[in-house]
This record gives sequence, C-alpha cells and structure tokens, in this order.
Amino acid sequence: MSHAESKGPELAGVVGFFSSPETLLKATQKTREAKYKHFDAYSPFPIHGLEKAQGLKRSPLPYVTFLAGLTGGCIGFGFQYWTSAINWPLNVGGKPFNSWPAFIPVTFELTVLLAGLSTVGAMFFLNGLPNIKKKAFDPGITRDKFALMIEAPPGFGQASDDDEYFDGVTPVKKKVVDTGTAFEVSSATSFLKGLGATDIKTVYNEGWF
Amino acid sequence: MHNATAIKNPGPFQISSQLKMLLGLFVVLGIAAFVGGFMMDSKRMWSSFVQNHFYFLSLALGGIFFASVQWLTGAMWSAPVRRVSESFTAYLPIALVAFIILYFGMHDLYVWTHASHVKDDPILSGKASYLNVPFFMIRNVVAFGLWIFFTKKMIGNSVAQDANPDYKFTAKNRSMSPLFLITFGVTFTMAAFDLLMSLDPHWFSTMFGVYCFAGLFYSTLAATCLLTIYLKRKGSLEGIVNDNHLHDLGKFMFAFTVFWAYIGFSQFMLIWYANLPEETGYFIHRLHGAWFYVSVFLLVGKFAVPFFVLMPRDAKRDQKVLVGVGVFMLIAQWIDMLWIVQPEFYKDGPKIGLIEIGLTLGFLGLFGLAVARFLSKNNVVAMGDPKLAESVFHHHQ
Repeated sequence: MSHAESKGPELAGVVGFFSSPETLLKATQKTREAKYKHFDAYSPFPIHGLEKAQGLKRSPLPYVTFLAGLTGGCIGFGFQYWTSAINWPLNVGGKPFNSWPAFIPVTFELTVLLAGLSTVGAMFFLNGLPNIKKKAFDPGITRDKFALMIEAPPGFGQASDDDEYFDGVTPVKKKVVDTGTAFEVSSATSFLKGLGATDIKTVYNEGWF
Repeated sequence: MHNATAIKNPGPFQISSQLKMLLGLFVVLGIAAFVGGFMMDSKRMWSSFVQNHFYFLSLALGGIFFASVQWLTGAMWSAPVRRVSESFTAYLPIALVAFIILYFGMHDLYVWTHASHVKDDPILSGKASYLNVPFFMIRNVVAFGLWIFFTKKMIGNSVAQDANPDYKFTAKNRSMSPLFLITFGVTFTMAAFDLLMSLDPHWFSTMFGVYCFAGLFYSTLAATCLLTIYLKRKGSLEGIVNDNHLHDLGKFMFAFTVFWAYIGFSQFMLIWYANLPEETGYFIHRLHGAWFYVSVFLLVGKFAVPFFVLMPRDAKRDQKVLVGVGVFMLIAQWIDMLWIVQPEFYKDGPKIGLIEIGLTLGFLGLFGLAVARFLSKNNVVAMGDPKLAESVFHHHQ
C-alpha cells in the first residue's frame, strides 16, 4: 500500500458525542482553552453562550447589509433624479423636476431590496453554503445529539483506499503549518474522552455526489 | 435550568428627598407659569398647556400600551421592565384633571367654539354636529374613563400577581389586552383629532391619529429605557435587568424611530403630491418662516440622529449612549408637539419663553411625582410574572 497516492476521503476530524447541552458547552470551553484551533460544536437547537465558548467573532454581515442598503438608496434616488431632472425632464402637475418627496418611496424600496438580497447572499457565502462537499457526519446532530468535532486542519491527511480506512488507522500526516495545539487523531481522541464524550468517532469528509 | 427563588425582590423604590423637592419645585414653577401666562397672554399659555397635556398624556397611555402589547404577545424578554412602563399610568388621573382645566382654555384655542364664527363659515357649520363643546367634553371624558378603567384593572392584576404568583392574572391581562388595544386605537385617534387637529378645524388628515401614536410610542420607549437605566443605577434593577434587556429596548427605540419617520413622511407626501387646497395649509404654515427649520430638525433630529446612533449593536448595549439618545428623543418629541400646536397661533416661528418652559416643568413635575408615588408603593419588578425567571437569564444568540 502506498499512502502518498491514496485517493480515499479526506480526514475531517475526531468527533465526540455529549449527552446534554451543558456538557457540550463545558467541553467546547475546554477545547478552546486547550488551544485547538479548528473545532466546531453541533447541536439540534441554539445553546446560549455557545458562540462565546467557541470564541466565534461577530459576523461581518451587518456591514454588508448597511453598505448594500446605502448603495440601493443612492441608486434608487440617483436614477430617479437623473431621469426626471436631467435626461428627460417632464412637467408633472407644475411640480419641480427634482421633486424629491416623490422619489422617496422608490428610494426606500430599493434600499430595502438591495439590503435584503445582499444579506441573504452574503449569509450564504459566509456560511459556505450551499455545501455539496460535506455531508452531515451523523443525522442525530439535527435531532437529539450534541457533538464536538476537533477538526483536522485543511490538507491534513487522507485515508488510504484500502481497508485501513474502515479500521480507523491514523492517516498520513502531511505538512501542516498551524499554530496552537497540533492535531493528532490519537491525542484528540483521548482529549475528547477526558472531556466526558460518550461516543468518539473518527470521521471523513463525504460529499453529496 | 434556573430557579425563580434566585431572584431577589428589590421591593418598591423611594426617590431621594432632594429629587422630590426638585419635582415639587417644578410643579410650583408650572403653577406660576400657568397663572402668569394666563394673565399676560392666555392664548400662548393655553397653547403650551394643550401641547404639554398631550405630551404627558401620551407617555401615560404609552405605559399601558407597552404593557398590553407584552401581555398580548406573551413576551418573555420584557418581564423585568414591564413594571417600569406600568408606572407611567399613575399620571392618568392627573391628566384627567388637566383635561378638565383645559375646558377653560377652549375658547382661546379652538375657533370652532365661537358660535358667531361657525355661523358664517359653511365648513365649520357642517362640522358642528361633531365639533361642539358638550360632545367634545363628553367623548373625551368617556375616553378618560375607559383608559382609567382598563389601567386600574390590568395594572391591578399585575400588582396583585406580585403577592400571589398565580398564572390567572397573566391570563386575565392577556384577555383584556386586545380589548384595551382596540379601545385605545379608537379613543387615542379621537383625542388626537379633538385636542390637536381641531386647532385648525378646516384641516384634516386621516393619518393624524397614527402620527400621534407614532410619537407616543417613540417617547414612551425612550422614557421606559431612561427610567429602567435610572433604577438599575440606583440598584433596584441591578441583577435583574441586564445588557440584553437594554439591547431589546434600544432595538425598539430604533424601530419606532423609523416608524415615526415612515408615518410622518407618508402624511406629508400624500398631501404634498395631491396638492389639494383644503389639505396643504397645514404644511404651508410649517414649511415657511422659522418653522421650516423646525421641520428640518424633525427630519434630521427626530429621525436621522437616533437612527444612525442606535444602528450599531454596541450602541444599544451602552447605557451612556442609550441615556443620551433617550433624552434627545424625549426632547425631539416635545419639539414635534410644539410643531403641531404652535404654528396654528404663531405663523412666523416658534415661541419658547418662560411660559413654555415653566408649564413644561410643571407637567414634568406632576408626571415625575405620580410615577415616583407609584414606584414607592409597588415593587419595581413584576415579581409574580411567570416569565420573569426565564427573562432575568435572558441572553442573545
């Protein structure tokens, strides 16, 4: 067997399952304190304080909304001004060409429209959606399971295409440039065990297609 | 997960005797401005009187409106701040007295009370079956009766729940809330039409009621936020109201800043666009002379400033910012009320002098004393509210 030319699925990381939101919250906090850089928590419902335990930064989404809204407003007003006062001035009811009060509804609507659509678009982009490269590793995380995955850094390693993959043998370690606690399957497994995970699995990335 | 017994009842709140003295002094100044103004320039005094009467009446009604919406929706987040808004209703009986006093100013304020004038004016003659003094007094006193009835019942339930944490009080208030809100919608529109819109009895706007409501909720939210922060700083709400509740109040203030602008602009744009002579007078007065600058202030100050200041998340979680914006919003609402009343009497520009300042302080003193008395007799937190325990540990995602 040759590890270097293996074509098996890429190692995603080691996942530990927890029985309650509280234990997941504590485990997440400890994983962060242990200076693991790549890890993620999975829960079927929002857990208060989880984002803090994970050390997640605030999303840049509000800035996208604000700037898109501003752009929409400028386009909305600017286009009406240009058509009504510059390009094709028409006398409507004796009102001035630049009748700004009449432009406000369209300006408002375009502000909301662009802000709204951009927010949805940016939300998908920032979340990495749609995600066809990774399947959920266990359907239970949308139902009744709480999980914490210590992730392998990108390009960490791949399972070989032979039986070893199913035996969970440590895959080949490629060169990883990373700070914080280095990832290793065995150490991550014992770390999760120490946190009180009820079930620990090594998982591999599986795509939808 | 959390236990209700963990919440310590802060009990009632006593304001300091210095503050009480100050509010008492304001009342004395108000009475002096009332008497002095009445003798020097009664029309000016009454115009300031009706402006401040409506301003503080709006705050008192806003208190029960806010609480009703919380009961109706079964909101969790607002449980620790609901009693703060309930305290504003303590001013309602005083507002009734102020309304009765206003009866003596009707001749100065409302041209439709002059029989000889109405006789020669076909429009006012046509409106006389509605705009006449007996019907005006009857319907407004009935409105006060309804407001005080609902307030006594609902706030009574809320306070009774403090001693006896029974869910039935919440259920009762939830059932009464839609009745009150529908009654409020009709009666408050009527009060706005009668007290303010009929200052120019030729003019009409079907949006005037909702415009006044927008101002009512705008100022009520600002006042609720300010009193909440005050009580938190004094220690009464410490450990009960946290940044997340203030954040939610800030969001509400932000939202109703936009709502006011939306309603205000809608009223203006429809009249401006249609350009009908019977409707445009109102805005012609307010867009000429010094009133133009007041109109610009409303657009920039009442809308744009709170809108942009309250937009970032951190601003809504910062007590200093909320206090600054809250005070500013209350002043902006006062200027809006001035902008509604005074141009009917002074076409050139606003008049703000000893009469206006004195009367405003007088009403403020009465309102403050009424609220302080309420808070000194009742717990500052609705301790029996079944949602309080959950709300105290209220966190945002």
